[in-house]
Amino acid sequence: MRVGIKTKCFAFVLGVGILLASPPKTYAQLLTPIEPTVFTQQVSTGALPPVSERIPAEPSIVQVKEPGRYGGSLRMLMGRAKDIRMMIVYGYARLVGYDTSYKLVPDILKSVEESEGRIFTLTLRKGHKWSDGRSFTTEDFRYFWEDVATGKVVSPYGPPKAMLVDGKPPVFELIDDVTVRYTWHKPNPFFLPALAAASPLFIFRPAHYMKNFHARYVAKAELDEKAKAARKRNWRALHFSVDRQYRNDNPDLPTLQPWINTTRPPSERFVFKRNPYYHRIDQLGRQLPYIDEAVINIASAKLIPAKTGSGEADIQARSLQFKNYTFLKRGEKRNGFTVHRWLTAKGAQMALYPNLNASDPEWRKIIRNADFRRALSMSINRYEINEVVFFGLGIEGNNTVLPESPLFDPSYQKRWTSYDLKKANALLDKIGLTKRDDQGVRLLPDGRPMEIVVETAGEDSDQADVLQLLADSWRQVGLKLFTKPTRREVLRRRTIAGATIMSVWFGMENGVPTELSSPEELAPTSDSQFQWPKWGLRFQAGGKGGEPVDMAPARRLAELNANWVVAKDAEARTKIWKEMLEIHADQMFTIGLIAGVPQPVVVSNALRNVPERGVYNWDPGAHFGIYRPDTFWFDRP
Amino acid sequence: MLNYLIRRLATMSVTMLVISAVVFIIIQLPPGDYLTTYIEELKAQGEIVDSKKVEFLRSQYGLDKPMSEQYFVWVTGMLQGDFGYSFEFNLPVSDVVGDRLWLSMVLNFATIIFVYLVAFPIGVYSATHQYSWADHGLTFLGFLGLATPNFLLALILLYFSNVYFGTSIGGLMEPEFIDQPWTVAKMQSVLAHLWVPVVVIGTSGTAGMIRRLRANLLDELQKQYVVTGRAKGLSEGRLLVKYPMRMALNPFIADIGSLLPQVISGSVIVSAVMSLPTTGPMLLSALQSQDMYLAGSFLMFLAMLTVVGMFVSDVLLAVLDPRIRLDGGVRK
Repeated sequence: MRVGIKTKCFAFVLGVGILLASPPKTYAQLLTPIEPTVFTQQVSTGALPPVSERIPAEPSIVQVKEPGRYGGSLRMLMGRAKDIRMMIVYGYARLVGYDTSYKLVPDILKSVEESEGRIFTLTLRKGHKWSDGRSFTTEDFRYFWEDVATGKVVSPYGPPKAMLVDGKPPVFELIDDVTVRYTWHKPNPFFLPALAAASPLFIFRPAHYMKNFHARYVAKAELDEKAKAARKRNWRALHFSVDRQYRNDNPDLPTLQPWINTTRPPSERFVFKRNPYYHRIDQLGRQLPYIDEAVINIASAKLIPAKTGSGEADIQARSLQFKNYTFLKRGEKRNGFTVHRWLTAKGAQMALYPNLNASDPEWRKIIRNADFRRALSMSINRYEINEVVFFGLGIEGNNTVLPESPLFDPSYQKRWTSYDLKKANALLDKIGLTKRDDQGVRLLPDGRPMEIVVETAGEDSDQADVLQLLADSWRQVGLKLFTKPTRREVLRRRTIAGATIMSVWFGMENGVPTELSSPEELAPTSDSQFQWPKWGLRFQAGGKGGEPVDMAPARRLAELNANWVVAKDAEARTKIWKEMLEIHADQMFTIGLIAGVPQPVVVSNALRNVPERGVYNWDPGAHFGIYRPDTFWFDRP
Repeated sequence: MLNYLIRRLATMSVTMLVISAVVFIIIQLPPGDYLTTYIEELKAQGEIVDSKKVEFLRSQYGLDKPMSEQYFVWVTGMLQGDFGYSFEFNLPVSDVVGDRLWLSMVLNFATIIFVYLVAFPIGVYSATHQYSWADHGLTFLGFLGLATPNFLLALILLYFSNVYFGTSIGGLMEPEFIDQPWTVAKMQSVLAHLWVPVVVIGTSGTAGMIRRLRANLLDELQKQYVVTGRAKGLSEGRLLVKYPMRMALNPFIADIGSLLPQVISGSVIVSAVMSLPTTGPMLLSALQSQDMYLAGSFLMFLAMLTVVGMFVSDVLLAVLDPRIRLDGGVRK
């Protein structure tokens, strides 16, 4: 969920100096824009300018498979009020975005010119407007860069990380009303993917609105008054609280997304209205989105499958799990929806993360022993897990790339995964864990029984079922397993602190990378990596905090990751990837359980343009984002 | 009586004070504070959090002060009607709670009324017809009610009410009424949704109440004054209503005190399962994210309801039952 540093993409090719551009301009001029029906009233009374004046002079023209009709309300369910940010994800209006073949194409931008991998020239669409009708210009980029990102008061800690190369910011140039340029001293392969991410890097702000909350543009006294009225501590906190584009919790904040939030939290129901100034039109000239409003109802995540099954959502995948598939299928006829099975692209649906940074010295020593991790893996009956929990539809194997990736090799997937208790026992004996208590549980060198507490985020009840199966087979090699459900934040916090010995989480985010995708997930680069959070933190914070990597194979991974960034050609990158995957397969830093479990996606039968077979992935993909929900429409009379 | 009231009120406020301290300590017991959770989230969004920034935020939220001082600020604030600030929602607690408070009161009172309405006739019937088939049947049902886990019953009822009546699953109203002004249609929608949680939360309370009423009434029915009444020719119905039933009524009133906390704690879990817009689910999430002032306010509210419930039941008992004397009885 981090912006920026994750460059996971299936295949994006951005050579030096390649120009990404919209269709030729003449094409746009042939089209007469068509007014969405819901606005005709407002346009005739003059409350809203006609559509031809609202869309940019150079709109983005979209070839829609089945051009649609206006109207309808798209109902979705989310587990927490915070999840209204998913509308930013699904809306997927980005400066540049992925298309369905995972190539980066300009979206809000008219074009991007990249040269030497370090100079980026962004060109906006002339006449593009914010959702409140004010012009979207390079001033909005300047405001972000000068007043937010490098502003001493607003961001005393500097610009976002994806905008720094070796800790140095780019040179920002304002060329004219529609052109800006960012120049780094070295290539920045993370910049464009960060703009296209599911949780994107916003390098612009609605300046005309935000200036109302910035001390550079408003008198101090007036601003203090405003902060006080909003019960904020100071203007900085006020600025911060109205400025959260991704959080999407301020209905007054102008946006470029297809739907605008109209509900101020807290609420249980959020209504998003269409953006009258949206920049995309279909091939017939209809302004998108087709659907007039989107509604998010908040319900407890555990109830979402039941609610979806009773027809309370028009499109839903979030909070639905594979095990709900049969239940959902049963509701199909009665409630007029279809359950599709989409591919998931994660390296593993579930993986164990032994914490190499555990603070308990005895445990840390054992966990750092590769043979221990191998023995753990070999005493897992993956076949049983697959059959019992996933109807045999999953792939049994490690947390690594999927067969769809060109980097795949069967040995990455199968090494140390055969279910062999004898060998596992022998490995454990070999590393000196020979003492057992009277129940046959192995003892740590200091005499404590080896009770492994596996902590879960408590979000996925499949995890509990799988861990239960795991407990039985681990018991046979003399290890006791306990499951401890917590919450996502708590789990992260505990792992970073080293209190967690082992956790269970998803596998690699991007299971189908090419050599052009960043391999950083395989190296210690982030504190949200449960197997080495402290090393990750050290890298992430640029050498501060955390701990230095003090294990040879992990150090090698970090080195390889650094090499990849500066690698010259495809061959070198492939080699780096292969070596990293090899290290992972051999070292078992994460112990994958099962992969390739399909994601049920419930789609109302009236909803058009939703692909039957898609890839459900966070980044790249933004879940439904790359399939462009603004082109979905309701085929209802 | 007045003396008694004053004494009770004084103990109540002391109790509340003790509860507030306990609540505050318990919320703070888990390691870390809200800020750790919040920083987690910042990190999840790709921001690098500096240790200086953490210190800055901690002082902004007042989390760097000693616990006793934080407690003092909270309690004095509450006395003035300021329940503090919810970190999670970035709003004052009173704004966050909004409708939830009184929706949970509606839910809880509806449940109590349900318990009374169902338990009373059944209890009386099974006592007067002891060991009849109907008594056995009702007793059996009562035990089922006591034994069924609430959340299971909730899910089953939700499913069937959706399939047969088309009510939306979970919540206290159809989604389109949320955040809308109150109308007759909205009230109807609330009523259509309310019965499931009421039945679910109420079942075990009802079952317990039936047992108590039956036992009490059975005791009374054996007594001599009943025999005398019957001998003097009172009709059975009049006899029952006039004498033993009045005696057996005490538990109904005395139970207000114990029923309230039972209903309320039951409703927290059921509300979370059914995602009702009451205080329950929010209390749970506030506790999980250590949003201490929000959680604290909820807990205080629940404690308050309990203490007030006890008080009301004691006073009502004293008023209704002349045998109970308040001022005497303390033997030196």
